[in-house]
Amino acid sequence: MSGILRRALLCIVALSASWARPVAADESHLVIVVGLGGEPKYTEAFHELAVRMIQAAEKKMGVAAANIAYLGEKATYPALPVYKGRASREAVQKVLGEIAQTAGPGDLVFVLLIGHGGSQAGESRFNLPGPDMTAADFAPLLAALGRQEVVFVNTASASGDFVKALSAKGRTIVTATKSAMERNQTEFPSYFVQAFSEDGADADKDQRVSVLEAFTYARREVERFYEKGHLLATEHAVLDDNGDGTGSSVPDPATGDGAMARRVFLGGGESTADGAAASADPRVAELRRQRRAIEEKIGALKARKDAMESAQYEDELEKLLVELARREAALRQKEGGR
Amino acid sequence: MSARFARLGLALLALAAVGGGPVHTVQAQDAASALRSGDYDAAILVLQRQAKKDPRAAAAHRLLVRTLAEVGRYADAEEEAKAFQAANPRSPELLTSLGEILAGRGRNAEAESAFKKAIAGGASDALTAEVDLSALRLARGDRDEAMRGFHRLIDAYNQASSLSSEQLAAVAQACWALGADDPQLFKDALKAFDESIAADPDNVDARVGLASLFLEKYNRTDAAAAAKEALDRNPSHPGALLAMARVLDADGAPGALEMLERSLKVNPAFEPARVFLAEVRLDQEDYPAAVLESERVLADNPASLPALSTLAAARHFQGDAAGYDVTRKRALALNPRAAELYNRLAELSARNRLYREAADFAQQAVALDSRTWRGLGILGLNQLRLGAIEPGRQSLEASFKGDPYNVWIKNTLDLLDTFPRYKETRSEHFQILLHGKEAALLAPYTEELAEDAYAHLSARYGYRPAGPVRVEVYPDHADFSVRTVGLAGLAGLGACFGPVLAIDSPSAREVGQFNWGSTLWHEIAHTFTLGMTGNRVPRWFTEGLSVHEEHRARPGWGDDVTVEFVRALKAGELLPLADLNQGFIRPKGPEQVAISYFQASLVVEWIESQRGFPAVVALLKAYGDGRSTEQAFQTVLGTTLEDFDKAFFAQLEQRFAGPLAAIRPAEKTVVLGPAARRAPTDLEARAKADAGDFEAQLAAGTALFHAGKRAESVPYFERAQSLFPEFAGRESPHFYLAAIYKDQGKTSEALRELQQLTAISDSHYRGQLELARLLEDQGDLAGAARSLDLAVYISPFEAAVHEKRAALATRLGDRAGVVRARRALVALDPVDKPEALYQLALALAEAGDAAAARREVLHALEIAPRFQRAQELLLRLHESRTGGATR
Repeated sequence: MSGILRRALLCIVALSASWARPVAADESHLVIVVGLGGEPKYTEAFHELAVRMIQAAEKKMGVAAANIAYLGEKATYPALPVYKGRASREAVQKVLGEIAQTAGPGDLVFVLLIGHGGSQAGESRFNLPGPDMTAADFAPLLAALGRQEVVFVNTASASGDFVKALSAKGRTIVTATKSAMERNQTEFPSYFVQAFSEDGADADKDQRVSVLEAFTYARREVERFYEKGHLLATEHAVLDDNGDGTGSSVPDPATGDGAMARRVFLGGGESTADGAAASADPRVAELRRQRRAIEEKIGALKARKDAMESAQYEDELEKLLVELARREAALRQKEGGR
Repeated sequence: MSARFARLGLALLALAAVGGGPVHTVQAQDAASALRSGDYDAAILVLQRQAKKDPRAAAAHRLLVRTLAEVGRYADAEEEAKAFQAANPRSPELLTSLGEILAGRGRNAEAESAFKKAIAGGASDALTAEVDLSALRLARGDRDEAMRGFHRLIDAYNQASSLSSEQLAAVAQACWALGADDPQLFKDALKAFDESIAADPDNVDARVGLASLFLEKYNRTDAAAAAKEALDRNPSHPGALLAMARVLDADGAPGALEMLERSLKVNPAFEPARVFLAEVRLDQEDYPAAVLESERVLADNPASLPALSTLAAARHFQGDAAGYDVTRKRALALNPRAAELYNRLAELSARNRLYREAADFAQQAVALDSRTWRGLGILGLNQLRLGAIEPGRQSLEASFKGDPYNVWIKNTLDLLDTFPRYKETRSEHFQILLHGKEAALLAPYTEELAEDAYAHLSARYGYRPAGPVRVEVYPDHADFSVRTVGLAGLAGLGACFGPVLAIDSPSAREVGQFNWGSTLWHEIAHTFTLGMTGNRVPRWFTEGLSVHEEHRARPGWGDDVTVEFVRALKAGELLPLADLNQGFIRPKGPEQVAISYFQASLVVEWIESQRGFPAVVALLKAYGDGRSTEQAFQTVLGTTLEDFDKAFFAQLEQRFAGPLAAIRPAEKTVVLGPAARRAPTDLEARAKADAGDFEAQLAAGTALFHAGKRAESVPYFERAQSLFPEFAGRESPHFYLAAIYKDQGKTSEALRELQQLTAISDSHYRGQLELARLLEDQGDLAGAARSLDLAVYISPFEAAVHEKRAALATRLGDRAGVVRARRALVALDPVDKPEALYQLALALAEAGDAAAARREVLHALEIAPRFQRAQELLLRLHESRTGGATR
C-alpha cells in the first residue's frame, strides 16, 4: 500500500470514531404534500402512498397525530383527521409556518412531497393545485426552521435541482432524480414509503429506519425495478446532508453525505438507542455505557479492516461482537426482555 | 484531411495535364445512361460505334476497353487496347487500361512496362498508372519502391489545383496503401474517395473503393451505404454487387450469395468475386469446390495471391500437406515477404474454427512483416479465442497502434478494458469469468453445472479436453457479441472456440427468452466435439451434437420442434446433409438457422438410435482424421449422403406425420401471438372450418382465453394439442390448459399439463414456477425442488424462488440445498442483508460447517451489531468453539 493511501486510511479511522450518535430529536413533525395527480390513477396512487406513510409514522414510529399534516388534492378527507386541506401554495406556507412557530428546538421536521414535478425557465417545480412551488418558494419556509432538524424529501420527477437550492447545514435533502432533466414519472416514492411502512429497510437491525436507510432501500429497489424490466433508468435519486449543495447517489457517511441522515429517525426511534440515555437502574446504565463503548470499538475496527489480515480482523471482530452480544443479553434481561 | 493534403499546390502535375480528348457527348451520355441501368451490352455497343467512328478518340476507346474488362471480356479488351495503340503508336492514353488487363491476367512484366510507358508518356490517367504500378511492386515485395510511388500521388494531389474524379480515386488508393505506415492516411483515403465521388457521382469504382475501405475496417454500416449508392448508379456493376455481397455476408444477412451470383453473371471471370466464392466454399467446408474455384482464378491469373491463399487453405483443410506446401511456395515465389498470404490463411482458418492454426498463420505473417497490423489483429483475436488473454491483448494493442480504425480490434480492446470488473473463479476443469455484480450469485450454479456437463460428456465421449476450459459469461449481450464477432448485433446466445467459450448471462436477456443452463451445456459439448476433432468437425455436426446433448441433459432442454420446422419439412425445404452447413453459415433467413439446429440434432439422434453412440464417436474420429462428411459417412455408416438423406427424411415424415398433416402452408396460416387475440369470432369460425388445422385451433383457443372465455377455449386447445403434441412454443396449449384446469380445481390435470409443457420447453419460467407450486401442494416436495432448480437456469434473479427452494430443502432435510439457496439469497444483495447472512449462517451451522457459519454471522453483525438472533447464533457458535473461554 502506498503512503498516500495509508494516510487516507488514517483519516477514515478518525472520522469513523465518531460512531453513529442519533440526533436527539425531541419530537417529530411530518408534513406530507401530495401534488396534482393529473390522472385518476396517479391521484389515487399518490394518496395511497400518503396514507401508508401516515400509518407508518403513527403506528410504527410513534409520531403523534397532532404532529402530522397532510395536504392533498381534495378539499377534505373526513376519514383522515390529519388531512389539512388542498395543497395550495398558501396552505403549504401556512402549515410550515405554523410548525416554525410551534416546534421546539431540536425537533425533527420531515417534509415529504409526492406528486409530479417539472421545470420551467430553468427552475424545478412541484406541481400543486393552483400555482406550482419552486425550490425558491420552499427556501424561506425551511429557513424559518433554523432551530429544527429538517428532512426535505421531494419524490417527484425533475426534482434534482431542489438539492442545490435547499442544501444547508443541518438539513437532509432527498430528491428522486439527480436533475431537472429526469422528467419521467418516478418509482422512488413508493419504495421510499415502503422503507418506513414495511420491514426490510432496517439494514443495521436496530429496530429503526434512518433517513439514510430509507433512501438506500428506495434507491436500490428503484435500480432493481429498472434492471428487472430491462429498462434504462430514468431516475437517479440523490441525498445531500453536508450542506455542499451536491447530492450523492451512494452516500458515504465517512467521507461525504450520509453522516446526518444516518442519525435521523422519524419518530426518534427507541429513546435509549444511543446508549447514553439515563436509566434509573445503575446496572442498566452501566450496561448501556459498556455497550456504547464496545460499539465504538467495533466502528474503529471496521475502519481498519482493509489494512488487516482477514483472519485477524474476524478474530477481533468476533471478540467485540461476543462482548456486545453478552451485554445486550444482560440488558434485555434487566429491561424485561425485548 | 491531414496537413499533408492541405498543402495544395498551384501547378498541375504534368502527368495529369495531358487530356485524353472528350468522348462524343451524346454517345457518351447514351453509354452512361446504359451503364446506369446496368445494360452493359448496350453501353458496349454505343462505345464500339463511337470508337469505330473516331479511331483517335482515346477517351472513348479507353471507356470501351474498361467496360469490356468490367464484364470479363478481357481478350476483347486487350485486343481493343492494342488496336488503338497500333493505330496511335505515339498516344499513351490506353496504356494504363492495357496494363490493368495484363496485370489481371498475371502478366506482370508486360503490365509494368505498360504502366511505365503511360507515366512516361504523360497519359491523362498516369496517376492511375502510378498507383497500379506501385500496387504491382507491393505485390512482389518491393515495398520501398511501391511506397515511394504511392507518395508521388500525394505530391500530385498537393501540387494540383484540381484533379479529376478518377485521379482522386487513384490518390485514395495510394493513401489507403500508405495507411500501413501512417494510419492517419486512412482518413485521407476516405477524404479522397469522398472528393472523387463529389467530382463525379457516377464514378462507381470510387464508391466501390470506399465500400471496400469501410469493409476492411469492419465498418459495415458505412460500407453498406457506399455499396448501395454504387448499385444505385449501376445495378449491374460487378464490383458493387460483390461489395454488397461482402457486406451482407459480414452481417450474416441473407442475400449474399445471390449478390455474388449476380456479380459473376455480369463478369464470370471477375477475380475478386471468384475468390470470394472460393472463400464461401471453404466456409461451407466444401474443400474440393474451393480448390476448383481457386484454380479457375489461377488459370486466368497465375499470380493471384488471394486465389493462391484460398487454394493453400483448401489444401491445408483437406490435410493435404504437400499440396499446401506447393501452393504456399508458389505464393512466396511471387513475393517472399507476402505476409498477406498468411493473413488470409489465418483468417480463413479462423472462419473454419481452426483457431490454433489461425494464430500460427498470423504469427508467420507477423514474422514476415512486423508492420502487418492486420496480422497482429488476427493474431490477437485468435490468442484470445485460445484463452491467451494477456498475449492477445498485447497483439491487439500493437495492431491498434498501427491501425486505430479497425472497429473489431477497437471494440475488442474496449471489452478487454472491462475485464477488471469481472471475477474469475476456478473449479476442477473450468476457469469461469463472471461480472462482479453477479459473480457471487452465478458462480456456484455455473461451476456445478459445468462440472456436471464435464463429467457426463467425458464419460460419454471417452475424451477429456485439456483444461482448464475458460467460460466467459456476459451480462451485456453487446459484449458477448463483441467477444464473438467483434461487433454488436450477433443474434446468438453462446459461442465456443474450443478451450474458450462465451455465453450470455441470464441478465443479458428478458426472462423466458433463453435457458442459460442449457446454453452453457451446449457450448461445453462443443468443447468436447471440437477438441476431439482438432476443430475439424463440420458445423452442422457439432451443432447437432450440442443440441442433442442438451436434450439428454435435462427435461425440456434444447431446441424443440417448431411450426416452421414442420412447414419446412412439408415443403421439402429442409437442407440435404451435404448442404446443411449452409443453414448455419449462410441461411436464407433467420428461421433457417433455428430449423437447421433442430434438424442437425435429429440427424445425430437418429444416427445414435440406429447405430449406437459409438458410431457418433467414430464419425468424430473420422472428421478429426480430415475426412469429409461424404467420406466419414461412407466409412463409418457405410452409406452415401443421398441414401442417408432418403432414409432420414422418410423417418422424419413418419415421426412427424401428425404435425405434418396439421400444418397448413404459410400463406394460409393464422397468425399466432397477440394478433390472434383480437377477433375470437373470426378465429373460431376458421378453426371450425378446418378442425385439422393446428394453428387455427390454437389461435381460436388463445383468442377466447384472452377474451375471458376460458371454458370455451378448452376444446380448441385440446384439439391443437392432439394435432401437434410436441409443440412447445410460447403459446403452448399446455400452459393455457393448466391455468384453466387450475381455476376449475382440477389440480391433477393442471399438473399433467405443466409437466408435459416443461418436458418440452426449456425456458417457460412461469410454467416451471407454477409446476413447483402445484407439486408442493400435492406433497411432492422433491419434485417441486427439481422444478425450482430448473427455473433457476431460466432466471436466477428472483429472491422468492430461492426462499421457496430453501424452505423446500429444509423440509426435505437437504442441508446442502438450504445452504445453496441461502447463498443465492445473500448474493442477490438484498436490502436486508444481515437477515440473509444470518439465515445463511444458520443453514451452515445446521449443515455442520461451523467455521463458515461463524464467518457469515460475523458479516451479518458487522452490518447490524445489535441484531439479536444473529448475536444469539454467534454466542452459540462461539461457546461451542471455545467453551465460553472468552467470557
